[in-house]
Amino acid sequence: MIAKADRFSTKKNLPNFLIKFVQDKLKNIVPPLIAIAVIMVVWQILCPPGSKGLPGPLQVIGETWNPYIINPFFDNGGTDKGLGLQIFASLQRVAIGFSLAALAGIGLGILIGTNKVIYRALDPIFQVLRTIPPLAWLPISLAAFQQSNPSAIFVIFITSIWPILINTTVGVQQIPQDYRNVARVLRLSRQKYFLKILLPSAVPYIFTGLKIGIGLSWLAIVAAEMLVGGVGIGFFIWDAYNNSLLSQIILALLYVGVVGLLLDRMVSFIASKVVAEEQK
Amino acid sequence: MSVFVEIDHVDRIFSLPNGGSYVALKNIELKIKQGEFVSLIGHSGCGKSTLLNIVAGLDQASHGGVILEGRQVTSPGPDRMVVFQNYSLLPWLTVYENIALAVDEVMGRSPASDRRSIIQHHIDLVGLRHAASKRPGELSGGMRQRVAIARALAIRPKLLLLDEPFGALDALTRGGLQEQLMKICEESHVTCIMVTHDVDEALLLSDRIVMLTNGPESHIGQILQVPIPRPRNRMEVVKHPNYYSMRNEIIYFLNQQKRDKKRKATQKVANVNAKAIEAPLSNNAPLVRSEAAPQQLEKVTLEIGFIPLTDCAPLVVAKAKGFFKKHGLEVNLCRETSWSAIAQGIATKRLDAAQMVAGMPLGMTIGMGGNQPLPIVTSLVLSRNGNAITLSKRFYQQGVRTLADFKNAIAQTPDRVYNLGVVHPHSMHNLILRYWLASGGIDPDRDVNLIVIPPPHMVAHLRAGKIDGYCVGEPWNSFAVSEDIGFVIATDLDIWPGNPDKVLGVSEDWVNQYPQTHIALLKALIEACEYCDDPRNREEILQLLCQPQYLGSAQVYARPGFIDPYNRGTQEQPQILPRFNQFYVDNSNCPGRVEGLWILTQLARWGITPFPKNWIEILERVRRVDLFGEAARQLGLPDRESDREPFKLFDGMVFNPDDPMGYLKCLEIRHEIRVEEIIIDAAKADVA
Repeated sequence: MIAKADRFSTKKNLPNFLIKFVQDKLKNIVPPLIAIAVIMVVWQILCPPGSKGLPGPLQVIGETWNPYIINPFFDNGGTDKGLGLQIFASLQRVAIGFSLAALAGIGLGILIGTNKVIYRALDPIFQVLRTIPPLAWLPISLAAFQQSNPSAIFVIFITSIWPILINTTVGVQQIPQDYRNVARVLRLSRQKYFLKILLPSAVPYIFTGLKIGIGLSWLAIVAAEMLVGGVGIGFFIWDAYNNSLLSQIILALLYVGVVGLLLDRMVSFIASKVVAEEQK
Repeated sequence: MSVFVEIDHVDRIFSLPNGGSYVALKNIELKIKQGEFVSLIGHSGCGKSTLLNIVAGLDQASHGGVILEGRQVTSPGPDRMVVFQNYSLLPWLTVYENIALAVDEVMGRSPASDRRSIIQHHIDLVGLRHAASKRPGELSGGMRQRVAIARALAIRPKLLLLDEPFGALDALTRGGLQEQLMKICEESHVTCIMVTHDVDEALLLSDRIVMLTNGPESHIGQILQVPIPRPRNRMEVVKHPNYYSMRNEIIYFLNQQKRDKKRKATQKVANVNAKAIEAPLSNNAPLVRSEAAPQQLEKVTLEIGFIPLTDCAPLVVAKAKGFFKKHGLEVNLCRETSWSAIAQGIATKRLDAAQMVAGMPLGMTIGMGGNQPLPIVTSLVLSRNGNAITLSKRFYQQGVRTLADFKNAIAQTPDRVYNLGVVHPHSMHNLILRYWLASGGIDPDRDVNLIVIPPPHMVAHLRAGKIDGYCVGEPWNSFAVSEDIGFVIATDLDIWPGNPDKVLGVSEDWVNQYPQTHIALLKALIEACEYCDDPRNREEILQLLCQPQYLGSAQVYARPGFIDPYNRGTQEQPQILPRFNQFYVDNSNCPGRVEGLWILTQLARWGITPFPKNWIEILERVRRVDLFGEAARQLGLPDRESDREPFKLFDGMVFNPDDPMGYLKCLEIRHEIRVEEIIIDAAKADVA
């Protein structure tokens, strides 16, 4: 690292900020790359080609290269689609379920947070419901909706609503006394208090809830699709398992992880733009 | 000069989770004029911010309230804008938007351009034009506080309330902001109440500094006027001749409070240790649950001393009419021969409690006549008035009718020294007599001779010619009148109507050891006092009093003043003096601190004791208004002290409780006044 810096700094025609930029990026990128390389090597050693059990990385890449890696959007009809399309289908379900959960969660959260009576009425119920594992809802939702798609979306909804709801409630309840005093002294109307003080003050909490919610939704969809079927990454994994195509499973898992990370980062990014500096 | 804001006898009581209650503020009474700047100073935890919140309307007083321009304050509003200690700026709005929030809300009806210009003007006023579009997170502490001040001023409040506004800032920023605040207050004539810890800040900014005592039951200890002329400059104000003396006074006050706090803390620990073996009882009165439920009394049989005078009536009534029994006490009333015997009885613990003359608790606590200081506590004034100054009939025959005549009579016989009898150096009789003489230009120690004689012997001495007059309680004046050996030249009512005369005194140790018994005793006596002041009962009481174990005198001598019209032994018609013996009406029973301070000044005036520099501490310790309040509350009676206002006696000289030293200096006839700091160690509680 230092050697490289020296080499770069001797070249006088490269501007300083470019040097710094490259230096910073390299600082963050190189160690993980090295770690990944090491893991691959170890994995390859532990799972040599031809062995029973898990395939090594070379085998995985070899078996899934065509078509899964190079053509993620192939469509051969039915559920035989490229990983890109499978993930897209899953994401669609997540989008609908999560949006519904966000709306309901934030709305209910504000209601419960501001109204003590309703809080006392509903909170015990919610505390019980939220501990039910998402997949346990599946039989009930299947029986209710009779179709696989709505019931998967319901499972997403019921999984991700709890963190959003509870965090919003807490955020609304935790408005610092200082802000409340300001509102009281200025005699702000209820509406103004809502829009100008309550909501902005609760926004960090809401976004925490959303971040947790999106992670849980993605977890839930994979599991739900395994049971429900149809186009989706979860079903792809389940199908591959039934056909003993381990390499495809491993690849799919990798894709699932990366997409989950991207979703989380996306919510964080939006939060960073909305939440004021002092509140973090 | 009408009152702009009045804090009207505000109490604030918090309920504790275990069912008890904590009295944070007690009887706060303050009147503030328009445009005045008042600072509240006190130790942490004394309730300054609570009081400010009550004035703002963010909190409700438990009793009393706040009146602003004639209307009661019940809820917060922009006319009482608060600058909070934590600034309370909304972090997601810029500086401009924060101020705009307030301005738009309050001045919503004005056109937008007007509002904009107001906001801009105030941003410029605090010097933040360059930061108008920044968020609070990007500003320093001083800048944030400036925004808070700009926000408060932009809406033109009638009353500006500042809660330690500059507490978290460094000295330079603070100085700059103080000057800006002063300038703004002068320009806009806004009334301000500020809570602060900083003594110099208070002196720089305020017109008056109100000093609060420690909690619980925090009340106004002292009010200081700051006469430094405006406009004030931070650097110049320290050069004012009074600056440092005022500063020292405030710091001294705070030190006294600190000592008081420490003493109470050690006392509480001692009490807890002492009571660890006994049944669970509560300690200091303010934390007791205020109910009528009888608590367990530590001691039931009590010895209470008294002197046979008409105003021992409450004690006699309490025993004879069963008030003591009602509150669970078995009392033995011990007839004592003199006030010194009573003092000795309390000191040697022969007596549990006693009727004392008004100055005795203070005198004994300070340590009179070279004695060891012994803290005595009084929580009840048993009687007021009831005394008179009697002179030998000879004077009457010489034509002496008034004080001026008496002075002439003395001046005419420069060789003869007249002797006047008083009951005890610390008694109100002594102080009132001396005051009366001094206001007529007679020096009580040079022009006449005052000697101490027990009350029952006064008449005999007068008859024998050993004394030429005395000041004593009834019935000894009427006795002399009816025997035609003396005449009454002045009664209490002519000098200071409503003066405290006899109080209930117990040693501080005793109160700490038997708090519940003490409260029961107070309750019994308050009820007895109420009984005594009912005119329908006076005949009955007289019968009781004249029994041999009490007064032992014939009824006819005790009747005047108490029931019958008062005969002064002059040619004038006897008049009914309804307040001659006052036991209960007009909040008689409360041992007010302002009276106590007057007694201290008079004791110092005549060199009987030094004047305590820490008079606040001593008064708090000796005159226990909180215990009286506790007993009164349990009986369902009003429990507050009278207002601490200046009052004057018959000669018109005004006594201002905020400036006792000034009062002393104004008195013409006096001894050399010693001012000492009198530290009395907390008496160690006996561990049973």
